[in-house]
Amino acid sequence: MSMKSKLARWKEQLASRASVQEKPPSAPLEEQREKDVPFLDEWRRKNVQPFFFDGDYCLVREVVYPLDYQHGRYRLGELHHIHERWQDASFAHPLSSKGHEACDLFFFDTETTGLSSGTGHFIFLLGHARVYADRVVVRQHFLPHPGAEVALYQSFLSEVDYTTLVTYNGKAFDWPKVKTRHTLIRDAVPKLPAFGHFDLYHAAKRMWKQKLESVRLSNVEKEILQIEREKDVPGFLAPMMYMDFLSTPHPDRIFPVLRHNELDVLSLICLYIHLSKQLLEAPQLKDASEQLETARWLETLGETNAAKSVYERVIEKETKEAWQAKWQLSLLYKKEKRYKDAVEIWEQLWQHGNDTWKIKVGIELAKAYEHHFRDVHAAHRYAISVYERWKALSRSYKQRDDAQEMELIKRIERLKRKLSH
Amino acid sequence: MKKKTLRELVEQLRDDPNVVYWHEIEPQEANTVPMPEHLDLRLRTALEKRGIASLYTHQASAFEAVRNGKHIVAVTPTASGKTLCYNLPVLQAIAENEHTRALYLFPTKALAQDQKSELHEIIEEMGVPIHSYTYDGDTPPSIRQKIRKAGHIVMTNPDMLHSAILPHHTKWVALFENLRYVVIDELHTYRGVFGSHVANVIRRLKRICEFYGSRPTFICASATLSNCKEFAERLTGEEMTLIDNNGAPRGRKHFVFYNPPVVHSSLHIRKSATAEVNRLAKQFLENGIQTIVFARSRVRVELILSHLQELIKDQLDRKTIRGYRGGYLPKERREIEKGLRSGEIIGVVSTNALELGVDIGQLQVCIMTGYPGTVASTWQQAGRAGRRHGDSLVIMVASSNPIDQYIVQHPEYFFQRSPETARINPDNILILVDHLKCAAYELPFRQGEKFGGVEVDEVLEFLTEQKVLHHRAGKWYWMSDAFPAHDISLRSASQENVVIIDISETGNHRVIGEMDRFSAMTLLHEEAIYLHEGVQYQVEKLDWEEKKAYVREVNVEYFTDANLAVQLHVLEEDRNEQRPKLSLHYGDVSVRAMATIFKKIKLSTFENIGSGPIHLPEEELHTTATWIELGEELAQMDAPLVEQALVGISNVLRHLVPIFVMCDRTDIHVVPQMKALHSGMPTIFLYDRYPGGVGLSEAVFERYDEIMKEVKHFIERCPCENGCPSCIGVIEAGNHSVKKNVIAFLHKLLASE
Repeated sequence: MSMKSKLARWKEQLASRASVQEKPPSAPLEEQREKDVPFLDEWRRKNVQPFFFDGDYCLVREVVYPLDYQHGRYRLGELHHIHERWQDASFAHPLSSKGHEACDLFFFDTETTGLSSGTGHFIFLLGHARVYADRVVVRQHFLPHPGAEVALYQSFLSEVDYTTLVTYNGKAFDWPKVKTRHTLIRDAVPKLPAFGHFDLYHAAKRMWKQKLESVRLSNVEKEILQIEREKDVPGFLAPMMYMDFLSTPHPDRIFPVLRHNELDVLSLICLYIHLSKQLLEAPQLKDASEQLETARWLETLGETNAAKSVYERVIEKETKEAWQAKWQLSLLYKKEKRYKDAVEIWEQLWQHGNDTWKIKVGIELAKAYEHHFRDVHAAHRYAISVYERWKALSRSYKQRDDAQEMELIKRIERLKRKLSH
Repeated sequence: MKKKTLRELVEQLRDDPNVVYWHEIEPQEANTVPMPEHLDLRLRTALEKRGIASLYTHQASAFEAVRNGKHIVAVTPTASGKTLCYNLPVLQAIAENEHTRALYLFPTKALAQDQKSELHEIIEEMGVPIHSYTYDGDTPPSIRQKIRKAGHIVMTNPDMLHSAILPHHTKWVALFENLRYVVIDELHTYRGVFGSHVANVIRRLKRICEFYGSRPTFICASATLSNCKEFAERLTGEEMTLIDNNGAPRGRKHFVFYNPPVVHSSLHIRKSATAEVNRLAKQFLENGIQTIVFARSRVRVELILSHLQELIKDQLDRKTIRGYRGGYLPKERREIEKGLRSGEIIGVVSTNALELGVDIGQLQVCIMTGYPGTVASTWQQAGRAGRRHGDSLVIMVASSNPIDQYIVQHPEYFFQRSPETARINPDNILILVDHLKCAAYELPFRQGEKFGGVEVDEVLEFLTEQKVLHHRAGKWYWMSDAFPAHDISLRSASQENVVIIDISETGNHRVIGEMDRFSAMTLLHEEAIYLHEGVQYQVEKLDWEEKKAYVREVNVEYFTDANLAVQLHVLEEDRNEQRPKLSLHYGDVSVRAMATIFKKIKLSTFENIGSGPIHLPEEELHTTATWIELGEELAQMDAPLVEQALVGISNVLRHLVPIFVMCDRTDIHVVPQMKALHSGMPTIFLYDRYPGGVGLSEAVFERYDEIMKEVKHFIERCPCENGCPSCIGVIEAGNHSVKKNVIAFLHKLLASE
C-alpha cells in the first residue's frame, strides 16, 4: 500500500489525535481520559489509581501494612530498632543506615518482559516499600501498555530517592534496566540522578553461598527468613503473564504478578533486618560459618577491630571454622607485627593440623623465626619439615606446583648457608 | 650458481609452451595534488612525518566529496593508499570537533585490528587525544564502557554491530548522537546472503541514528566491481558518489595465463595445477625473488607449503617460506606480515585471507593456483605483486575446472574491465523478517514506518499474530522474552553443508572438502565416485543426519552419474520478456528434489556398466528462479534432440553463470525440463540455492542475452570432439552428432527473428 493510501486509511485517527493534544486539560477531559482506562472500576477496587501524564497514563497501587505485621521470622516494624542500632554501631558498613531516616530506605524491585539488558525488554512494574513511624507503605507503578513509559517514569521518578534504594541484585539488573528505559525517554521525564544503594544480593552471596543451594531471593526467603508463600506465581512467568494481560487487560490477569512483587519488597525489608542483625550481633551469632563470613567481611572493609573480636568468638566455638578463624586472626596479628601472638596460633595449628595446614603455617613459622626472631635453627627445622610434607602431599595428589617447590628449596638453601656461617 | 633476476626469468617464461596468454600492464606515474589547504595542521604534519607530502588524486577527491557531505564509494586497487580515503576526512572532522564519532566496519576481526595499529600511528604523531578502539568478542569487559562513552572511532564487524551494539543502543548514546561517519571497508565482500543480511543491519543502524538525531555519511572502499556504485547504494540505501580516479603509481606488470598440459585427452583432463605451481614457484624462490602463492583451500595451502619448503631446503631456511591462512594465531600472522615487509620472508603461501587489506608490503611475483573464482578476487590477489617502481609478474595457473578453462581461453573477457556484478537482496522475505524482529526489539515501529524504503506494516501485523510483537495506538512493540539477534547469524548456517572425510589412511582421517546438500544428493550418495582435485574417491558411507560423507581413495575405470528427480512448481511470476523463439520469466518457485538412481559409466567408452538405487529423503526449497521457456516452433522439434540441447545448454550455464553473477558454483542451480509442470513446455530453470533467493537468478534474467551468447561461443570453442564435462557434458558412446546438433539448436534459439 502506498504512503498516500495509508494516510487516507489513518486520516481520522491521525486528525483526532492531533486535535486532542491541542486542547488544554480540563475537568470534563479528565472524565473522558478515565474512560480510556479499561476496567478502571475493577482496578479501583484493588486500590489502584490511574496517573495521567502527557496524553497517557500508568497505574499506581498502594497497600498499607501495620508495623507489627509478621512476615516470616520478623515483624516489619523491627526495621526501626535495627535502624537505631546502626546509628550507634562502632563500625562502618555498606549496609549501615547511619545518617539516614528509617523511612528514607526504598525497598525496590522490578518485573520485566525479559532478562536481557537490551532495549527490547522493558520494566512493566516498579515496586517499592517504605517503613514510616506508624505504618509500612508499598507502592507499585504499573505500565498498562507499552508506550506509556513516559507516564510510568514520571510517576515513579517524582517520588523515589535514589540514594537509598535497597535491592536484590539491583546493581547488575534492575538499575541498568531503569537506565536503559530512561535513556529512551530522557527528554520527556526528570533527569536520572546519581545512584547509590544497598544491594542485598552481594551480602546474601557472601553469607550463604556455601550453605544454600542457591541464593535466589525465593530460596533465601524460605531457608533463612522462614517466609512461606502461598499461591505465588514464580517470577519467571511474569513476562508471559504480562503479554497475556496485554491481549485482555483485565486486572485479574496481572494481579498475581503485582502480589508477587509486593511480597518481594516486603521480603527485602526482612532480609535487610536479618543481615543487619547478623552484622550488628556478629559476636553473638550461633552459626559458626555465618559468623566466620561476617568477620571476613568486616576484615575486607578494614574494620579490623570488629573483625578480630568476631574471629575470637568463632574460635571459642571449636568447630571446623575455628581453624580458619585462627588462621585469619594470626594473619591480622602478623600485619600488626604481633609476632608472638601470631606464632602462638601457628604453633597450635602446626601441632594439631593436617599436612595441608602444616605446610601453610610451617612456611609462616619458618619466615617468622628467620626474619623476626633470628632463630635460624628453628627456621631451618620448619623449612625442612614443610618440604617433606609438601613432597608427600604432591605425591599422593599427583599434582606439583613447580614455583612453590622452587620457593621451598630456595628457603632451605638460604637457611643452610646462614647455618654454616 | 649465479642468481637470476626477475627480468631473466620473465624472458625465460615467454618461451614456455604452456603460457597461453601474456598481458602487459604499462607503468603509470603517480598523479598527485597538494594537500588540501584547510587540512588540520597537526594532521598535515603527522602525514609529512610519514613521508606523505601530497595526496593521490583519488584520495583528494574522496576527501573533498566527503567534506561536501556526499556518501562515497572509492574503488581502489591493492596498495593504492585506500585507507587515507576514509581516515583523512574522519581525522579532520574529529580534529575540528572532538565530539565527532565514526564507526568503522570490517568483514573480519583481524582486519579491524590491523587497521587500528595503522591508525594509531598517525594519531600518535598528530598529538591529538583521539581514541580509537576495536570492539569485538575479544574486547575485555573492563574497557567496554570506556569505548562506548569515549571512543571517537569504533572499529568492529557487522556481526558485532548486529548482536552486541544495536540491541544495546542506549549504552552507546554518545556514539549514536554524534555519529558522522560510517566507514565500510572491503565492501565487495558483502555480497550474496551475507551482504543481504548486512544491508539490513545497516538499515537498523540508520534507524537508530535517526532516533538519536544523527545522519551519518557513508564512506565505502571496494575492490573493482562492475556495479560498485549501484551495489554500495543497495547496501547502504544512500546515493553514492563513485571515486575511481586512482592516482597511485605502479610499475610494469606482466599478467600471464598458464594452462597445464592435457594428460587425459578423452576426458580433457589436465595436469594438476598444484604441481605446476610448485614447479613455477621454486624457480623464483631459489633466486631470492619475493613470491606469494594463492591457493583456494586451507588444505591446499599446507600441501603447497610443505612441498616448497622441501624443494628448496638446500638453498633456503624453512622459515623464509611461510603459510598464511585463517586458523593461524594473530601473533603468528603479525610476525609473517612483518617478515614480508622487511624482506626476511621470501615466500608465502596463502588462502584468500591475504586478498583483503592486510599490509604486507609489495611482492614481486604472485602465483594463483587456479582461478580465484571472481575477477574482483583475481585483481585483488594480483595486486599483491606490483611494486610502485620496477617490474612484477602475475601467473594464473588454470585447473581443469571449466570456469578456469573458460577464463584462460577468453582472456579478453577477463581483461575487459570487470564484468562482474555483486548482488544482494536485502528484501529477501526470510532475511527481512529476521531483521525486522531485531529492529522492533531495538525500537518500536510506528504505523506506516518504512524499513529501508520497504513498506512493512503487513509483516509487522504477521509478527503480531505470531505473538512476537504487540500492536497498540499505531505502534508495534517487541513483546517476547527472546533476544532475536542471538538467534540470527549473518553468515547463515541455514545452508548446512555435507563435510567430506577421507578415510583412506587408518588413523589419519581428514576433511578434504564440503558440499551443499542439494549437490551432495547426486555427487556424494553411497557408492558414488567423487573426484577431488583429479583424484578418485568412492563414497563408503553418507551420514545424512550428521551431514558427513566418508570417502576412500580408489582407482577405477568408471565414474558415476546420478539422476535427480526435480519437481519445480512456479508459485508466482513477477517478470517476463519475449524473445523471438522463447520467453523469459522470473518469479518464485518451489523446488522438490529427490535422488533416485545412479549409473556407472566406463571412462574410456562411456558405456553404462551398472546402476543402483539411492536412498535419500526428498529436499524442498522455496526460492526465486529465472526460467527460459521454448516457443512452439522449437518445442515441436524432434524430442530427443530438444532434450539433448536442453541438457547440453544447462551444463554450460552451470559453468558460466557464476562468472557473470559473481557467486559460487553451488549458489545457483540449473535444471532442464522437457515438460515444465506449470506449462508443459520445454524449459530451463535457474534458481537460487538460498531459501527466498538472493538476487542471482534475477541477475541472469537481466543479462540473459549476454550470457547465452557466451554459451554458444563456449561450446563452439571447446576443443573436444563430441562433448566433454567442460562443455555440454558427457555423451554416451556411439552418438557422434550431439555437439553439432546442440550448436545448430543454439543458432535457432538465438536467432533474432
